[in-house]
Amino acid sequence: MSADIQAVAAKDGASPALLHADGVGIQFGGLKALTDFRLSIHEGDLQGLIGPNGAGKSTAFNVLTGVYQPTQGQVRVRGAQVNGRKPHQINLMGVARTFQNIRLFRALTALDNVKVACRAQTGLHQMSTGLGAKFAAARHNYADWWKALLLTPGFQREEKRLTEQAEHLLEVMGLSHRRDEEARNLPYGEQRRLEIARALGTQPRVLLLDEPAAGMNTREKADLMVLIRKLRDDFKLGVLVIEHDMKLVMGICEHITVLDHGETIARGAPAQVRGDRKVIEAYLGDSYLESHGGAA
Amino acid sequence: MQTPALPVPESRPLVPPSLRGVAPVVVALPVLALFQWLLGGADFASYLLSVMGVNIILAVSLNVVNGMTGQFSIGHAGFMAVGAYISGVLSLQLKEVALSFLPVAASDQVLFMLSLLVGGAAAAACGFLVGLPSLRLRGDYLAIVTLGFGEIIRVVVQNTDSFGRALGLSGIPQASSPAMVYFWVFLVVLAARRLAGSSHGRSLWAIREDEVAAEAMGVDTTGYKVRAFVFSSFFAGIAGGLFAHFVPIINPGSFTFVRSMEIVVMVVLGGLGSTTGAIVAAIFLTLLPEGMRSLFSALGTEGSLAQRVDQIRMPIYGVLLVVLMLARPQGLFGSKELWDVLPRWLPRKRRGLA
Repeated sequence: MSADIQAVAAKDGASPALLHADGVGIQFGGLKALTDFRLSIHEGDLQGLIGPNGAGKSTAFNVLTGVYQPTQGQVRVRGAQVNGRKPHQINLMGVARTFQNIRLFRALTALDNVKVACRAQTGLHQMSTGLGAKFAAARHNYADWWKALLLTPGFQREEKRLTEQAEHLLEVMGLSHRRDEEARNLPYGEQRRLEIARALGTQPRVLLLDEPAAGMNTREKADLMVLIRKLRDDFKLGVLVIEHDMKLVMGICEHITVLDHGETIARGAPAQVRGDRKVIEAYLGDSYLESHGGAA
Repeated sequence: MQTPALPVPESRPLVPPSLRGVAPVVVALPVLALFQWLLGGADFASYLLSVMGVNIILAVSLNVVNGMTGQFSIGHAGFMAVGAYISGVLSLQLKEVALSFLPVAASDQVLFMLSLLVGGAAAAACGFLVGLPSLRLRGDYLAIVTLGFGEIIRVVVQNTDSFGRALGLSGIPQASSPAMVYFWVFLVVLAARRLAGSSHGRSLWAIREDEVAAEAMGVDTTGYKVRAFVFSSFFAGIAGGLFAHFVPIINPGSFTFVRSMEIVVMVVLGGLGSTTGAIVAAIFLTLLPEGMRSLFSALGTEGSLAQRVDQIRMPIYGVLLVVLMLARPQGLFGSKELWDVLPRWLPRKRRGLA
C-alpha cells in the first residue's frame, strides 16, 4: 500500500507533495471515522475521493484542512507538518476548500464573498507559534486596522486591488453578472461556483472540492468538470474532488481513492478501481456479487 | 462577446485620496463649535444631549461586536465603568494641575482629553483580557464572561476606597460639553462606518455569517473577534469617561447589568449590524423616559415622579422588544443603513423622482 504512495511521491522527484496525508486516523470516542488514510497531491493532479454515504470522505477533508485534529498520523503541506494548526493557518499555507452543504457568507454580495478570501492573503501572517512572532503579528494587525480607520492612501489602493482581483475571479467563474447580488439570492449552481471562486481567492495551491456537482443535472455536471480541469491548468493547482457520481469521477480523475467505513479499500487509476471487488461490494453490497458471480 | 469598455470619464474626486482620511474631521469641528455656541447655557438641553450622545457611542460601539461580528456581549456597562472610574480618578488627581503654557480653559480640556484617552485605553485593555480567552470559543461563552465581567467591575468599585465605594465619586471636574461628547459620537460613527466598509469589516461580517467558512478562507477568526471587541471596549470606556465628566456623581448604580441590557436593547432595536439603526434607537430610548416624565407631570402625578419613570421604564422596554421582535425580528433597519432603507419607506410616487 505505502509503496503505491511512494511511487506517486517519486514521480515528482525532490519537491515534496503539495498536500500529503500519512497514515492519518481520527477517532471520535469509540468510533473510528478514518483509519490509516494516505494521500499525496502534487501540482497538476486531479484526484477523486469516493465512497458510499458515511464512508468518511468529508471527515478526511476536515482533517486535511484542520477542522479536526487527527488522532494518528500526520498531515503535511508542502513538506511542513500541520497537525495542530488552525484551519485559517492551513488555508494560508495554500490549501483551500469548498463545503458539501454550501457555506457562503449569505448576506454578503458575491463580490464581497470573494473579497473576504482575497483579503486574508494580504496581511502579514506569521506561521511560527513563538510568543515574539505572535506579538509582531498582532501589532501588525492592529496597525492595519488603524490604516482602515484613517483611510490612508495605501489602504485605498489595497482595497482597489482586492476589488480587481475578486472581479477577475468572478469573471473566471462566469459570475460577473451577479457581482452585487447577495449570495443567498443566487441560484444553486451559481452558489456552488461562487464557493469555488471564493476558495480561489485565497490563492491556493491545492483545491479540495466537496461534492461540487451535488444537486446539479447531468449537463451542469459535465460543464463543471470541464471547468475544474481548466482551473487546475490555469491556476496550476492540485485538485481533490469528493464526488458521489461514479461515472463522473471516473471520467475526469486520474487517480481515485475509495473509502468505506473510514478505511481505504482501493486506490489507483479509474479503470483499476472500477473493477475492484471490494469497491463493488461497498457500493452494491455482497448480495450483488453473489448473484452476479464475482467482480468484473 | 465582451463589449468594449466604455471610456469612463475620470471623475475628479472632491477630496484627494491623501486627505480623505481627515477631511470629515476638518468639516465636523466648526460644526460642533457652532452647535455648542447655539446651545449656549441651556443646562437641561445640554445634559440631555450629552446623555443621548453617550448612549449613541455605547450603542454604536456595541453594534460592532453584537451586530457586525455576531458575537453576544452583555457587559458593555462594565467597560463603561472602567472608563468612567479610571478617567474620573485621573481627573480628580489632575484637578489642581494646569498647563502653564495654555490658557486655563484650554488646559482643562487638554487634561480632560488625556484622562478620557487613558480611561478608553484601560477599557480597551480590559476588553483584550476578557476577549482573548472567551472569543476563542464559539457560542454563548462571551455572553457569560462579559456578564460576569460587568458584575466583577461593579463589585470591585463598590469595595475600593479610592473609587468611593458605594457612595460613588463626586467632585470630578465638569469638563465635558455637548460639543466634546458629539465629537466622540462623530468619531465612533466614522470609525464604525469605515470599519464596516473595509476589508476588516468584511471579515467581521463573514464571521457573523459563517464562522467555519470564514476560518476555512483564511480569516483568523479569533484575532478579528478580539480586535472588534477591543475597538468596542475602547469606545465604551470613552463613553464612560465622558459620562463621568458631566454628571455630578458617578456610583456603581450607574453601571449595573440593567444598564448593559439597555445598550443591548438599543442595538437589537436598531437592527443588528446597522450603525444608523443603533443611533436612531439610542436617541429614541433616551428620549422615551424623558417623554414619559413630561407626560406624567402633565397628568399631574408630580409626587415620586423620577421613581415612577424608573420603575415603568423596564416593563416598557420589555413590551417594546416583544412587539418589535414579533413585527420586525431583524430590528428597525436589519443590517442595512438608514439610506438603504429609507427609499423603500417613502411613498412610491416620490421614489421615481429620486
